[in-house]
Amino acid sequence: MKRLMLLVALVAAILSAQEGAASYKNLKYPPLRPVKIPEVATFTLPNGMKLYLLENHELPLVRGVALVRTGNLFDPADKVGLATITGMVMRSGGTAAKTGDELDEALENIAASVETGIQETYGSATFSALQQNASEVLTTFRDVLTSPEFRQDKIDLAKTELRSGISRRNDDPHGISEREFIERVYGHDTPYGWRIEYATLDRITRADLRAFYRRYFFPANVMLAVQGDFSIPAMKAELEKLFAGWTTQQPPVPAFPPVKTKAAPGVFLAVKTDVTQTFFDLGHLGGVFRDKDYPALEVMADILGGGFRSRLFQRVRTKLGYAYSVSAAWGANFDHPGLFQISGSTKSGSTTETIQVIREEVEKMRTEEVTDEELTSAKESVANSFVFNFDRPSKTLNRILFYDYYGYPKDFINQYLAGIQKVTKADVLRVAREHLAPKDFTLTAVGNPPEFGKPLTALGTVTPIDLSIPEPAGGAQKP
Amino acid sequence: MSRCSQLGIALFLTTALAVAQNLQEFEKRVTEFTLDNGLHFIVLERHEAPVVSFHTFVNAGSVDDPEGKTGLAHIFEHMAFKGTPDIGSTNWPEEKKALAAVEQIYDRVEGERRKRFKADPAKLEALENELKAAIEKANSFVVPNLYPTLIEENGGVGLNAGTELDSTEYFYNLPANRAELWFLLESQRFLHPVFREFYKERDVVLEERRMRIESSPQGKLMETLLATSFAAHPYQRMPGGWASDITSLRVKDAEAFYKTYYTPANIAIAIVGDIDPKQARALAERYFGRLPAAPLPPLVHTVEPPQEGPKQTQVETPSQPLAFIAYKRPDQYDKDDAALDVMSSLLAGGRTGILYKEMVRDQQIAVAVGAEGTFPGGKYPNLFLFFVAPSLGHTIDENVKVMDGILDRFKAEVVDPQALARVKTKSRAELVRRLDSNSGLAQLLNSYYVNYGNWRRLFTELDETDKVTAQDVQRVARQYLTPKNRTAAYTIQPATAPVEARQ
Repeated sequence: MKRLMLLVALVAAILSAQEGAASYKNLKYPPLRPVKIPEVATFTLPNGMKLYLLENHELPLVRGVALVRTGNLFDPADKVGLATITGMVMRSGGTAAKTGDELDEALENIAASVETGIQETYGSATFSALQQNASEVLTTFRDVLTSPEFRQDKIDLAKTELRSGISRRNDDPHGISEREFIERVYGHDTPYGWRIEYATLDRITRADLRAFYRRYFFPANVMLAVQGDFSIPAMKAELEKLFAGWTTQQPPVPAFPPVKTKAAPGVFLAVKTDVTQTFFDLGHLGGVFRDKDYPALEVMADILGGGFRSRLFQRVRTKLGYAYSVSAAWGANFDHPGLFQISGSTKSGSTTETIQVIREEVEKMRTEEVTDEELTSAKESVANSFVFNFDRPSKTLNRILFYDYYGYPKDFINQYLAGIQKVTKADVLRVAREHLAPKDFTLTAVGNPPEFGKPLTALGTVTPIDLSIPEPAGGAQKP
Repeated sequence: MSRCSQLGIALFLTTALAVAQNLQEFEKRVTEFTLDNGLHFIVLERHEAPVVSFHTFVNAGSVDDPEGKTGLAHIFEHMAFKGTPDIGSTNWPEEKKALAAVEQIYDRVEGERRKRFKADPAKLEALENELKAAIEKANSFVVPNLYPTLIEENGGVGLNAGTELDSTEYFYNLPANRAELWFLLESQRFLHPVFREFYKERDVVLEERRMRIESSPQGKLMETLLATSFAAHPYQRMPGGWASDITSLRVKDAEAFYKTYYTPANIAIAIVGDIDPKQARALAERYFGRLPAAPLPPLVHTVEPPQEGPKQTQVETPSQPLAFIAYKRPDQYDKDDAALDVMSSLLAGGRTGILYKEMVRDQQIAVAVGAEGTFPGGKYPNLFLFFVAPSLGHTIDENVKVMDGILDRFKAEVVDPQALARVKTKSRAELVRRLDSNSGLAQLLNSYYVNYGNWRRLFTELDETDKVTAQDVQRVARQYLTPKNRTAAYTIQPATAPVEARQ
């Protein structure tokens, strides 16, 4: 019997040795070949416009983006939507030389594009052209950037689109929850949390668009990045010539309004009867990239709700089967606090339980150190995937452009990596304690309460979210 | 000849040249080989950065779900992240026993349930409790999500998979020095899949269905459109399957599906990036050579019978109006395929698409209008699909009337030559723009190889687009966009209960 056991053990050892040859545990990796970081040439034109040029000859394409220091944070309170419409109609409303419709035809005939838009903290104009049409497209791009016409018919079209958007804003439950979350955390009465309404759109005129454009679109306020199949000296000369006549001046653009830091705790519920899941968001303000705790907060949020290996994924999805989608992120921005946000959706019947489990996991982050395995896993993941920040030349160009735009050092990404590698378990616990405040959590949920089973009131007093859409002063909307 | 069209031709020739050069360039950098078991590899070298993209294309999808077991292809895709005996278990021999016990008890539960009204409720309850306990025991040996965790820890990005009606695809990217990890993990998940946490994953898959379809007006409308349009062919359902089928799926069903459809000759792999093709081949032989050769799976033999007349369906939802209008069209191998693609681009491509110009820009009766030339898959006869979202204050009926008028005109008149030239130029340029992403290329090369037997078709397909004439477009419009071929699905507001009923 004993001999038999020995034999069994021996056979098992041989078998496991064979399996072992093919085990991930035995793989050895050579060091990663160093990445080539492409050279970005920077210049400032006499009119103050900054250029960022990158040669990339792999494909016969030329592409570019101009960043403009503006944003919808500069909307007047009674004309929310002004920046957005300005961004839309800059391109669709055509230039002095051509209507927007003529631009559409001319550009699509040569498979090119020129687009414009204004986001929260920047405006942008982009173009993409096959190499042989680059000069023609650059001219159009210049015209759109420097002499947009804002024709009235396209202002009307943009308003129709935005009005229809307002009328459709309660159709997607996920969108409702996220919108209500963002607006509550930043505050409905601040530029970070207010929304476009029929009434604010109605007040916007062509004169407003032109004035908004004039205030922010001037050469010293523009950073233009161009990459592709060209030589830097030739492209520089071409851009110099192209923009030589653009000499508009304006006073420097002021800083964006600050974010109010007052929390908006509570449980907020919007009723939708045509859904089988509840969509929810919870959290509060996050931070900025340059915060010294940012790397530790990233690690913390990653362990809580980052990937397949995160605690929320493991517990809510894998163990309980309560959700397909659940995640947490320490949201940070370059210049103003982002959002610490946990999001997910679960069948109506497990709504309250799911949110309770999530709160437990947040509490655990604040009371116990994470494990060595979790910390190592999070750090390895960042370090080993770091190369993907450099896998295309365009990523380097965009990074340099945005770092410059927001006043970050060129090597910020390396500082970030170094910061991640220094994070300890004690750091993770400390930042969770200092930066996560469950009592301040704003919770928004969108679902069908009669199906909830355990009522949401188990989480606190429930404040209803009013989904009605305010009509403008003039009454019901006409087409 | 006008100046415009001369310019058009000159431009066309230069983009054509660029595409031809791309094909020659690709020929130099592509290595293809097939293992003895039938598994095919396409390796494209791109040494610009030390990263590699991997893409596995299984030529089976939800169309291959057996009747009554829809959702099977999808749940197997989820199981392919659950690991192997070596990856994801604290004690495989014990786990294996525990998993077998789950199945035995489940058989007994099903045996009792089949008695229906004669089933003994007390016995059923006891068995169900036993099943729960057995599942918990099996789960106690699991290291959850170890398989995807290994990929993430090693710097893997873009990790995911997708189940479509025609195919199932698995993909991610790794730093180039860790390429061997992919060979190991990918071969093991298709060599020794373990169906652990299967019954919990059914719940996850149901949540996915609730999120994507049941809680989305667009999802519900799409599901209803397909169910109405197809009488017999499995394109009649969404890739995830029906909820009640999903709740009844068993491990043995998933195992049978895997054995039938995940055979080496039914799978293709594309690798794009900083990799030596010789080394790739050696690793492929070593890791994937062990997959046993097996016959090709059966084809779907159900052919959708000809539609005998227009179909119309509606979905009640309190949301703003949406409409899908679909026309039956032949599969992607049909001689009319290129002309149908061109037609979709003419009607709804960019800002110069005819429907956009008339309905969105000029009449402002719609906020969005789109066309999809091939939907929901291309391997079998499918749909030419239109999508309309009316703008505020406008109705679906008004939009559909205008759209029908535009389509009637489109059928009556031959399309403008400049518009046709524009569409052809755009499709060439679009291809050039798609060539700068490793992961995008891996998907494209694989998809063309599996669907057409040759990755080069990614480039040569354009020759067929070029041959399409204005008369071809007119002919296919007349042939396929007919009332008899049509299925329309609209949203409508829920019927409100009569006043008496509410009292």
